[in-house]
Amino acid sequence: MNDTRTIAPHDVAPAQAASGGAVPGGGETGASAIDPVLLSVYARTFRAITDEMSISVQQTTRSPILCEAKDYVTGLYDEAGRMLEQTENLPILAFSLAPVCKHIVQTFADDVHPGDVFFHNDVFTLGNQNNDVAVFKPVFLDDVLVGWTAVKGHQADIGGAVAGGYNPNAVEVWQEALRIPAVKVVERGRLRRDVWNLIFANVRLDIVQHDMKAQMGACAVGERRLVELLRKYGLPSFRAHKQALFDATRRMMEAEIAKIPNGRYSGEGRVYYDGRHEGSRYTIRVDVEVSDRRIRFDYSRTDRQTDGFVNGTYTSSASATILTLLQMVNPDIPHNEGMVEPIDIVIPQGTILNAAYPKATTFGNHLCPPNADAIQRALAPVLPERVTAGWNNLLAALTTGTDPKTGEKYVDIGFMGLKGGSGALPGCDGYDHIGMIDASGGVLDQDYEMFERQTPHLLIRHELLADSAGAGQWRGGLGVETVFRIGSDDTQLVTFGDGDFEGAFGLAGGKDAGLNAIRLALPDGRTVVPRNKDLVSGVPRGTVYRQIASGGGGWGDPRLRDRATLADEVRNGVISRESAMRDYGMRPEELPEAPWTST
Amino acid sequence: MTLKIGIDVGGTFTDFVVARDDEPPFIHKILSTPADPSIAVVEGLAQIAALQCPPMDPARFAASIDTIVHGTTVTTNATLTGTGAACGLLTTEGVRDALEMRRGIRERQYDNRYTNVRPLVPRSRRIGVPGRIDRDGHELAPLDVAAIERTLAQWRTEGVEAVAICFMNAYADPAHERLAAECVRRAMPDAYLAVSTEVLPSIRFYDRLSTTALDAYVGPKLERYLDALTARLASAGFGGLLLVMQSNGGVISPQLARARAALTLLSGPAGGPSAGLFYVREHGRDGCITTDMGGTSFEASVAIGAPLVKTDGEIARHRIALPMLDIHTIGAGGGSIGWLDAGGLLRMGPASAGADPGPACYGRGATLPTTTDANVVLGYLDPQYFAGGRMTLDAEAARRAIDANIARPMGLTVEQAAAGMYRVACNNMAQGVREVTIKRGVDPREFPLIPGGGAGPIHGCLICTELGIPLQVVPREASVLCAFGMLMCELRHDFVRTFVGRLDALRWDVLAALVHDMRAEGDALLEAERIPPASRRVALRLDCRYVKQYHEVSVAVAPEWIERADAGAVVQAFHDEHQRLYGYALRAEGAPVELVNVRLQAIGATRAPGHARAAAGDRDARATVKSVRAVYVPERDAYAPVPVHDGHRMRCGHVVSGPALIEQQTTAIFVSEAFDCTVDALGSFVLYAKGREDLLGRREHSAHERDARVPAEGLPA
Repeated sequence: MNDTRTIAPHDVAPAQAASGGAVPGGGETGASAIDPVLLSVYARTFRAITDEMSISVQQTTRSPILCEAKDYVTGLYDEAGRMLEQTENLPILAFSLAPVCKHIVQTFADDVHPGDVFFHNDVFTLGNQNNDVAVFKPVFLDDVLVGWTAVKGHQADIGGAVAGGYNPNAVEVWQEALRIPAVKVVERGRLRRDVWNLIFANVRLDIVQHDMKAQMGACAVGERRLVELLRKYGLPSFRAHKQALFDATRRMMEAEIAKIPNGRYSGEGRVYYDGRHEGSRYTIRVDVEVSDRRIRFDYSRTDRQTDGFVNGTYTSSASATILTLLQMVNPDIPHNEGMVEPIDIVIPQGTILNAAYPKATTFGNHLCPPNADAIQRALAPVLPERVTAGWNNLLAALTTGTDPKTGEKYVDIGFMGLKGGSGALPGCDGYDHIGMIDASGGVLDQDYEMFERQTPHLLIRHELLADSAGAGQWRGGLGVETVFRIGSDDTQLVTFGDGDFEGAFGLAGGKDAGLNAIRLALPDGRTVVPRNKDLVSGVPRGTVYRQIASGGGGWGDPRLRDRATLADEVRNGVISRESAMRDYGMRPEELPEAPWTST
Repeated sequence: MTLKIGIDVGGTFTDFVVARDDEPPFIHKILSTPADPSIAVVEGLAQIAALQCPPMDPARFAASIDTIVHGTTVTTNATLTGTGAACGLLTTEGVRDALEMRRGIRERQYDNRYTNVRPLVPRSRRIGVPGRIDRDGHELAPLDVAAIERTLAQWRTEGVEAVAICFMNAYADPAHERLAAECVRRAMPDAYLAVSTEVLPSIRFYDRLSTTALDAYVGPKLERYLDALTARLASAGFGGLLLVMQSNGGVISPQLARARAALTLLSGPAGGPSAGLFYVREHGRDGCITTDMGGTSFEASVAIGAPLVKTDGEIARHRIALPMLDIHTIGAGGGSIGWLDAGGLLRMGPASAGADPGPACYGRGATLPTTTDANVVLGYLDPQYFAGGRMTLDAEAARRAIDANIARPMGLTVEQAAAGMYRVACNNMAQGVREVTIKRGVDPREFPLIPGGGAGPIHGCLICTELGIPLQVVPREASVLCAFGMLMCELRHDFVRTFVGRLDALRWDVLAALVHDMRAEGDALLEAERIPPASRRVALRLDCRYVKQYHEVSVAVAPEWIERADAGAVVQAFHDEHQRLYGYALRAEGAPVELVNVRLQAIGATRAPGHARAAAGDRDARATVKSVRAVYVPERDAYAPVPVHDGHRMRCGHVVSGPALIEQQTTAIFVSEAFDCTVDALGSFVLYAKGREDLLGRREHSAHERDARVPAEGLPA
């Protein structure tokens, strides 16, 4: 695919008269005139539709990755694939849906019919990650294509060499997953059994079929509601107001960008180890150019792609860019095509953020944290009130095996263990245990008792980790420590992530946070420390798994931190007495009396 | 003749509904006394005594009351304002932060200034105790009782008022929790005690933990309040039955409420749906959508046979997993403020002008435009006849507020801007109704809408138009709907047990024994509440899912199915419900189904008040027109003169064709052009889509026959 692309092409009509006489009592109410009140109604209804689809997915799926952690996105698009609204439980998946929808519209052209359903995961046709499989359903009103509904979710398995999809030894896409370019699995309401069987013959777990059905169900829910809306107001009204909504949103985004001084700002983020070459290190370099109402992210100086699976795809990297920017602007901007129009993103093919066919790319979503680091470092000097210190970079582990009690296979992404703290801002501490920036608190821990039912493991500890946050006048969010005893005999562990070489960075005199770590204590007394992108097989039952997801970076001089707050934190054991004195300059007499909560 | 009084304590007003057999209910409203809400309760009763014909001595009147049903927001307010008890938590070693971390959610994903909520129990008083039960209920490590005793000794010195206990896998074996509870009872006999397996003995640690902590957090406050209330009522001469409203739509004795305070956490609006059902049964309907529009919020709920229940509630971002009525609240009330967002889109709420200073038209110096201000400009509210003329509204202030903040920035006239505010507010409320209907697999068009609250019936027609609902029933008591509904509520006790197993390999005998035990527990409570066996029944539900699904679907089942181990019937019911909720079922695939939780509700019937019923008279309502006023008619996008009827003079059988206004002291009804309105035998105003008289007069049973029927959700005990 191209290496340079504007996520939202400027193919939209100029703004229509957005206010004036076309309102109730105003006299002229032509079919396509903009009613500012109806505009609010459309915006609110689009969001209600994607929220309803999201609830449907959560309630009906089986993989805990979907229904417990909410690692999925629902969306609504117009007939050309332009984003109308999304519910972004996991934003890193979100900004590849509109590009893929446009791709389907172009590829299938007039071969799209009422009752069709498409699947897609292919990273070389704008997918973001192989495991994130999308369902697209065209929506028709009286045989006219009027829009699309879509759900993309992280599947528990999608074929490839390793269960669960993370294969640190992969060098090509085929070792990672089954490629599904846009494929019609239902045609005019009839399931294409042959296609269906071909796909699921290549997937290890049965629940994936059911979860894809659940995603199809949610698309049908969205379709029904969009048709109802169009029946009520008519297609001309829908089209005109949709465009007005894009325009209004674009103006909001432009106004936010205009708050950033014009200029060119550069920053870096680092990736340690590519899964193949010990000691390897890669740098993501971004040059952010702000010019009045447009913002351009240029990654041309970023390091070359790796020969392993630590590579991004264009849409996973662009999603990372957008979601990082969204944290720096008004959080109430609606999420539609207008929001992304003023953003240009340049990622040359062949870089670590946009690997060339047929490179392996499963790690691509997890290049978001270092990518966000680069953007935050670039913009912090000019947007001090909006840019946080560094967030804890993701380090995760996926365990698979067989539950000896039930004889059933399980796949578990340890969401509870991977969620560290966010970075601080002036006036606001980081958020404790929020997790990677690509989810921003939208992905949840497994419930402990459900974890012990769905896996054979025994949870020993899952608590906030004292002193894990970067010190500062505003401290970073705290990280967590997770310990469990492995209960299956055939356990395989796949690690993926970073943050074990470099802690989240502080800003304005705030301190860096601690490091991530994963460590296995085997029953025979040996200790195994997996690398940050590793595959460990044959982990014996009784092994104690210990993980630290550390905190976020601090902001401002720690000695300026409010003393009463600090005393409370010492009393509550989230900051140790030693750290209070060493990092925050607390005098011994200021310390609260004998904290009887151990840290 | 029995005398029942429903008393609903709200933030601003305390509402009273006095019901005697076969007499129209009497309504009274006085200002609340937030410092001690029981003062207003007793004061209101004294006022009502004085208003009797002939006036009665307060003590004699109080003595003549058979039943008082009381709704309180003491626990709700304590949670919302963070003023609950000083609590301690005993939990399993290693997981003491689960309460604070809330599974790591940040509700506003892109807002880096959005902070976590303060935990109900501070970390220094969340104690992880050694001792462990595994997923099968086996003890892996004994409970460290000595550690608990050391902790309790410390808490005694710190003035801890309430203790919550929640251990890992206690649903599988509560032995450790029982042991810890004994320690607390011994060491801190005066502390309020919340034990997770007594509050909510089901799987999902965080849900159980948060619910238990909430129970402890609000327990002492409710204890003190109910003690004060019962003492005050007793000294005022009341010797009848006092019942307290619960979030599940049932009532409970104050003794039980005291011990399980979390049951009342969202009980404020829980009377509404029962009231709604009462009014629509007059029309042969067994389901309705009840809404209640207050000053800052709008509540919507659905009843089908009985009010719908959910177990995934939340209060102030804290999880509460007890069964409660599925009532959706949004920030859309009379005081909701209109504003333009950064993209120039018109928004209404959720910020509210509250009661003070209130909307601009209250003339208390407020300058921000609210829904009520728009209603004044549009002519729906008569500035001279607000609250029956007890308050005058400043229409000019309303116009100024709308002009400055909405009309001029949008380039509209004040009237156009007000119309826009009205339409956006109605759309917000319609979305609120969607939350409890479409999102739960219910088609709103099949149910009449009850627009409650004083201003609700001004917005009902547009909400109905938005959703395609052809029928509305506006009760005379619309402004005190919840207080009235409380009088309809039965005693309800919920029980839940986790019992996991595939239906095709279930130990049905064990399940039957479990159900038997739960039923016995319910009987014991109802016995204590003096409910005779003939008035008792149970409703049984099984939470099931396809094997490996994470979320369960709750399916109503007959107890006989369990006794005869009828897996087929349960599976069938599960497929049906899954299909209804999510649009598909895996029936053909024969996907195995598993049971997770057993839920039993023990219900004790109470006597609902009778209601006078009038015979239909003349259709001609012209004599009730008191004036003609220009109001905004949405169907025409224009103002038009419409007749204003005196609602108090309208009688059964009268018919009014929209557009029209019907005014009563505490309620204004706008009948839009798409609707006509008639008055039914109970005196309710029934609005039906023009030409749809067929929707009326489908009453199949008299109220008494109706009461004798077994409600759809319950089966005879």
